[in-house]
Amino acid sequence: MTTSVYWILLAGWLLAGRACAQPSVFSQEWQFAHYLADKEEVDEASFVLQSIDTRQLSRPQLDSLAYLTGWLAYSGKSLELASQHLLSVSSGSPFYIKSQYFGAYCLTFQQKLDAASAVARQLPAPDSTLRELRAFEEAGIALLQRQFQRYDTLRQQFRYSSYALSAEEKHLDSYRAGLQAQKRRSPAVAGLLSAVVPGLGKLYAGKPKQGIAAFLPVLTLGLLTWEGYRKDGPKSLRFLGFGSLFTLFYGGAIWGSTLAVHVQRDQFNRTYDNKILFDMHIPLRNLLNR
Amino acid sequence: MITRFCLICTFLCVTCLTGRAQSRLQTADSLYTSGQFLAARVAYERAIFMSSDPGEQFTAALGKVQCLKQQGLYAASVPFLNSQLQLLYPDSLLYRLRYEQILCAYLAGQFENTLSLLDRLPYLHPTVRATPLLLAIRILALNELQRWQEAQLHFRELLSALPDSATTRQDPYQHLPQLKNAKKAQWLATFIPGAGQLYAGKPGEAALSILVQSAGLYFGLTSFLQGYYLSAWGIGAGLFGSFQAGGVRRTDVLIREVNTRRANAFNTQVRQQILTLVR
Repeated sequence: MTTSVYWILLAGWLLAGRACAQPSVFSQEWQFAHYLADKEEVDEASFVLQSIDTRQLSRPQLDSLAYLTGWLAYSGKSLELASQHLLSVSSGSPFYIKSQYFGAYCLTFQQKLDAASAVARQLPAPDSTLRELRAFEEAGIALLQRQFQRYDTLRQQFRYSSYALSAEEKHLDSYRAGLQAQKRRSPAVAGLLSAVVPGLGKLYAGKPKQGIAAFLPVLTLGLLTWEGYRKDGPKSLRFLGFGSLFTLFYGGAIWGSTLAVHVQRDQFNRTYDNKILFDMHIPLRNLLNR
Repeated sequence: MITRFCLICTFLCVTCLTGRAQSRLQTADSLYTSGQFLAARVAYERAIFMSSDPGEQFTAALGKVQCLKQQGLYAASVPFLNSQLQLLYPDSLLYRLRYEQILCAYLAGQFENTLSLLDRLPYLHPTVRATPLLLAIRILALNELQRWQEAQLHFRELLSALPDSATTRQDPYQHLPQLKNAKKAQWLATFIPGAGQLYAGKPGEAALSILVQSAGLYFGLTSFLQGYYLSAWGIGAGLFGSFQAGGVRRTDVLIREVNTRRANAFNTQVRQQILTLVR
């Protein structure tokens, strides 16, 4: 009798062990992938996550999977994939807050500003720090959209006292001032200036070196044309050849000046956009990447 | 009865655990053998993650390094081995990992890092003598950095560490590559048209440079003499000046190419000789 009890106990223990092992397979695989992600072994971690059979996973497990897949894509700078996965994490997940904030940031970085703004308005903010962070992220997006009034409304929520936010909040304020102070140059004026003095339009556009580089060949060709005209007459090959080249370079200088205004404006905007994106990222990493 | 029951349980547990460990490594090994290196890397990582046995972790770490090497991912092996060196392995196993790390650093082209890792080895493992292969790697890394005089000293050390028959071989450092002097080339190119390219071993380019600069000069002079002062300046002097400045820059590029080629040829020859010695 006693022997059979022991054997039944043993069999029961073995069966229980097997049964317990089944549901933990996902958890084990997820933890393993997380361990690989922490070691920045993105290829290996992605391989593990892709091998997981998603058909029988519960909602929380799917959320955890979406979070880690999104996080790996974010680490690998595949931001479209990252935003898709991170924003699919449901509100019941412990990764919900982090996923939403980083998902919104990924959308912002991809310049999908309307979508990012819509997500940012819905960002979860259970405490005052996260409320300030949400306002900060929304303000960053507003600046990227050049919506200065909206930025001014949102910045009223800045407290300039949090270690994780204060420096970046001040930076955003300075970017706002810089963007507001941007001088609006006209391509037509630049072209007109270059028509008067070749290269002057580029100087006006904010590219003085390019202005000098445009002025010198036009001046040289102009002088050579004049010399050809003076010495050999208007029908001479010298005059016609240099005259054609001068016309080409002169027209190029005018066209280049109108383009320079656009280029300079794009560069200015890109520089500020990069600064804003950089500053939007720092508090996210400091507050949520733990 | 209870004792018997406990013994059976213990037996089952131990069999199960060691069986799992062996099976993990066997799976990884079979993936490696079948050429599925990424899957094998994951399987070896899994063994490291799941196991608490340093022996299994060490075998798995070496397995993963082999996979990375097969895939040519030498640079990735270096930080991976660094992470493994943080674990509590016995000294002999740590030495093996460091040895692998040095090899991978060299294969990844991280020559300064290779030398730094080699320099640390005697302090970390004072009782272990440097193997001929490690000496060879030091020489090869020094060669790549063009520190041939230091490499020569270590070459002699390598010869003395090898059996007598090898010491009769010729010292390749007696004929170091003759590298061109970049400053001299620049000076020549600045003051004598085409001389820089000629010094760099490109007579065709030198002739072309002389021709174009002479044409510019000729056009400038004749234009000046005919009273076309602006043409003389704008075209003649412009052409001459542009090609003269371009010649100086081109000479610099050519000298670098020539020196790299000569250094590579010498290093390849020495590498072959050294590998024959240590094989």
